[in-house]
Amino acid sequence: MIQVIANSGLQLLVLLLVAPLFSGIIKTLKARLQTRRGPCVFQFYRDLLKLFRKGMVIPETASWIFSGAPYVYFTTAILVGLMIPMTTTYAPFSLFGGVLAVIYLLAFGRFFLALGGLDTGSSFGGLGSSREMTISAIAEPAMMLALFTVALGANSTNLSEMAGAAVSQSWRFLAPSQMLAFAAVFIVLIAETGRIPVDNPATHLELTMIHEAMILEYSGLYLALIEWGASIRQLVLMTLLVNTFFPYGLSSEQTLFAAGMGLCFYFAKVLLLAVFIVLIETTNAKLRLFRVPELLMVAFILGALALISTFLF
Amino acid sequence: MSQTASNLFETLRQKFGQQVQSIRAEREDEFYILLSDSDIRPITDYLLGEFDARLVTVFAEDRRAAENVFYNYYVFEQRGSPQYLIVRAPVCANMPEFPSLSAELPSVNWQEREIQDWFGLKAVGHPNPRRVALHDNWPEVYPLRKDFALETVLPEFEGERHIYRRALGKGVFQIPVGPVHAGIIEPGHFNFAVAGEPILYLQLRMFYTHKGTEKLFEKLPVHRGVFLAESISGDSSFSHGTAFCQAVERAAGVEVPERALIMRVVLLELERICNHVGDIGAIVNDVGFVVANCHAGRLKEALVTLNEHMTGSRLLKGMACIGGVRRGWDVAQLDTLLKSLDWFEKEFKDLVSLIDSSDSTRDRLEQTGVLWPEKAKDLGIIGVGGRASGIDLDVRRDHPYAAYSRFPFRVPVYQAGDVLRRMQVRIEEVGESISIIRRAAEESFQGEFRVPVPVIPADRCAVGSVEGWRGEIIHWIRTGPDNHLQRCKIKDPSINNWPALVEAVQGNIVPDFPVINKSFNLSYSGTDR
Repeated sequence: MIQVIANSGLQLLVLLLVAPLFSGIIKTLKARLQTRRGPCVFQFYRDLLKLFRKGMVIPETASWIFSGAPYVYFTTAILVGLMIPMTTTYAPFSLFGGVLAVIYLLAFGRFFLALGGLDTGSSFGGLGSSREMTISAIAEPAMMLALFTVALGANSTNLSEMAGAAVSQSWRFLAPSQMLAFAAVFIVLIAETGRIPVDNPATHLELTMIHEAMILEYSGLYLALIEWGASIRQLVLMTLLVNTFFPYGLSSEQTLFAAGMGLCFYFAKVLLLAVFIVLIETTNAKLRLFRVPELLMVAFILGALALISTFLF
Repeated sequence: MSQTASNLFETLRQKFGQQVQSIRAEREDEFYILLSDSDIRPITDYLLGEFDARLVTVFAEDRRAAENVFYNYYVFEQRGSPQYLIVRAPVCANMPEFPSLSAELPSVNWQEREIQDWFGLKAVGHPNPRRVALHDNWPEVYPLRKDFALETVLPEFEGERHIYRRALGKGVFQIPVGPVHAGIIEPGHFNFAVAGEPILYLQLRMFYTHKGTEKLFEKLPVHRGVFLAESISGDSSFSHGTAFCQAVERAAGVEVPERALIMRVVLLELERICNHVGDIGAIVNDVGFVVANCHAGRLKEALVTLNEHMTGSRLLKGMACIGGVRRGWDVAQLDTLLKSLDWFEKEFKDLVSLIDSSDSTRDRLEQTGVLWPEKAKDLGIIGVGGRASGIDLDVRRDHPYAAYSRFPFRVPVYQAGDVLRRMQVRIEEVGESISIIRRAAEESFQGEFRVPVPVIPADRCAVGSVEGWRGEIIHWIRTGPDNHLQRCKIKDPSINNWPALVEAVQGNIVPDFPVINKSFNLSYSGTDR
């Protein structure tokens, strides 16, 4: 029992404290590939600390939705994070829901952020929200199909059991259905985290922004919550990807040693994924906005093919 | 097909009778045609039609003190001839009106309205006679008239701000952007009317940084005017400085030594390369291909460092000088120039192949922000933006100045008019510029680089033109007593080209606007003056 609590606490701490580190690592790696030195990997923490200390400017036209959205966004990210197994096959909140809950909680957070963008009535917020919704309308079903493929193999939509089933058949990721599903979820990951070729996280051009345009009016504590929440969401999605498709190092036992080993494996896998994301971002230009849905349609079709192929092979 | 003054006078007299008063050849490539009244329309039709001429710029001058009239000047150039035909049309001081050409020639739309705002001469028949150079809340003052003192302090502005045209329709929204932007750029207001993402209509508002530069020139001794000219548009400081110096040298009849002419060529081309490389990087950066921009930034840094080595200024400031250039070069400097250029050429090829190898970049740039050749012709678009849309103009070739006639080069021209071609024009011009500098550096760098300039004789008019990296820069001056100027007209290429942006963005989507804007990269400061 104590170990379960310890593991859950560990997972919560990793989500809260390590997520910004991965954002920093991605930023620094990108800078290196661009022949720049780039900021220190811990810069994100300093930015958060700075934002928490700052006062807020809240538009006069804003309602409670504007104030509520950052909390919803942040909380859903944490909740989802606790539903996904991280170091062992056990996920602290697996009792509360599986794949569907994960997808819809993520959608819920995004929905509120989009509302927050619309709430102030500024033209850029509206622009960002409408773009975000266009993208997520296709990204969500694509992710659903892909995750169902994995769920079918495990005969459960509970992520703990899915991970457990995956551990027991360790070469399963070579199956065509798994590879297709992985590709689909990876594209969704790029879209959800607002990375090139879908969105440019480093741009200052408000006319081209998606995620950044929604949060232009936010400042201080709210902005900190959103930025922090976004980095947690990014880590959550990366966790989902690596632990659902490559569950190496996940132990079904709840011992301290297993958790420690699991943590090491987990960091290595996420780091590898981060490098992969950086390579994609560095070698591609951003897609024209109207072609982003096409890219996500590819993800959707990959997801559908993955689902079909589970019945064929 | 150059004309002699007497031939041209005969032809025009036959056609227009007494309206054409006289033709004076100030210089062999600069004719002044004096009209008897302000009606410019018939002679414009004739010059544009029969002569295949192009209206380069329009400006006014307050000559009430000496002759009790205003003059409007219409500068024409003829295809294939280095001559400037400058038509002087008097505008009566008692009835300050002149017929507008903007309905037929949209290229002078803003320039005619500048005359309205600055001189109080009314452009009759102008399709959109609202304020442009002075904003709507300015009081009724005409700052370029001689009776408006430079030191005048105007009261706090109270009048109504500019009212933008409203865009109506189901699902049509207006997005105001600026005048203060994210990032370090100058102020300008963009008002987009959009239906979803596609842009229906763009309204521009410039002149937020109007500084009264043309007025300021009238108060400065000529040699200090050079420094002012250098700061009209910071990225074109040597081009503007040289255009100004050339105008003064032509007015004063100063013979610039050969060595200085060659050095001017080298410096003008260095400025062009430097800015083109920066622009190429900025264009790919705006479609998210950041790596290429970082390399372009690295190359640009090397070039401005080279600039500093050659002139002491990263932006080539302080080098332009009447009668030559301010400093000479020694052998070591020329050696560094050539070595740096060799290194740069290799690195630049790598950069271009990096950009070429990116399909996703090409996908974003091709057919984005298309400016059709017909539109470009109607609007009188010049420079890089013009050459990408089939407008084959280049002052270096059409009106050879400095030592350009000795270094023939190719002018890249494309018809497709999209962002990709505007980038391609820049890439090819960089190649040509490298070759020009190489050939120029082989020339003899012996002899004087500067001659002493006598007191400038009063009451002479002269035009100075330079192909800056953006396009055609024109300075027109009238000299006055005591080494001062009576009038200095500055035409930056940006004032012609801003309307091109309005055309090019139509039908594109909002997120593509930044890259389209960047592909023109126009100067706010040069427009506003």
